[in-house]
Amino acid sequence: MATSTQLSNPSVKIGTAIGTIVDLTDQTTSATLTRTVEALEDTAFGTGSRTYVGGLENNELTVTMFMSYVASETYASLKDLVGTKCTVKVNPAYGSVDSVTNPGFILTDTYLESLPVVNASLGELNTIDLTFQGGVYSVDTTA
Amino acid sequence: MKYVIISPRLGTPGDEFDPGDSNVDHLVAGGFIRQSTDKPSKPSKVKTKPKE
Repeated sequence: MATSTQLSNPSVKIGTAIGTIVDLTDQTTSATLTRTVEALEDTAFGTGSRTYVGGLENNELTVTMFMSYVASETYASLKDLVGTKCTVKVNPAYGSVDSVTNPGFILTDTYLESLPVVNASLGELNTIDLTFQGGVYSVDTTA
Repeated sequence: MKYVIISPRLGTPGDEFDPGDSNVDHLVAGGFIRQSTDKPSKPSKVKTKPKE
């Protein structure tokens, strides 16, 4: 049985549109992009099992990043995105072009509700957790 | 309006950045790009003497 393992090293890009996304990979420590199609129950009388049909897509990206207030770093990249529709792109392998084996997972018009501008604890590096909600899911496999 | 990339987070520093229709005010303010100061070259003012 063939197996494939991969060390986590994705690229994470965030911005207002696909043409202006900023590479924040080197500030990111965790990224989870989940594609969800809401389940609508269509079970009817006469059946012995619950069944479902697909409803609306409700996608989500959660990321954890180090916070930095230096120019062109985390804060400068994200501060104007709060309360707006954004574009995010995550590739499984950093440094490689889009391909079938390194697809670029994109959420367009995904919403950033909140940005923790300060999350400080004594003796620890500043990190922030972000959640991008909704958006149109697409996959780019061409360089 | 032409822009030049400053931050490697956006591309290769020094390269021209084409934002398309996107608003890039936040990228300028954030130090990612700057407006290009390159002026279009003017045509030469040297006139050739007409042949007599």
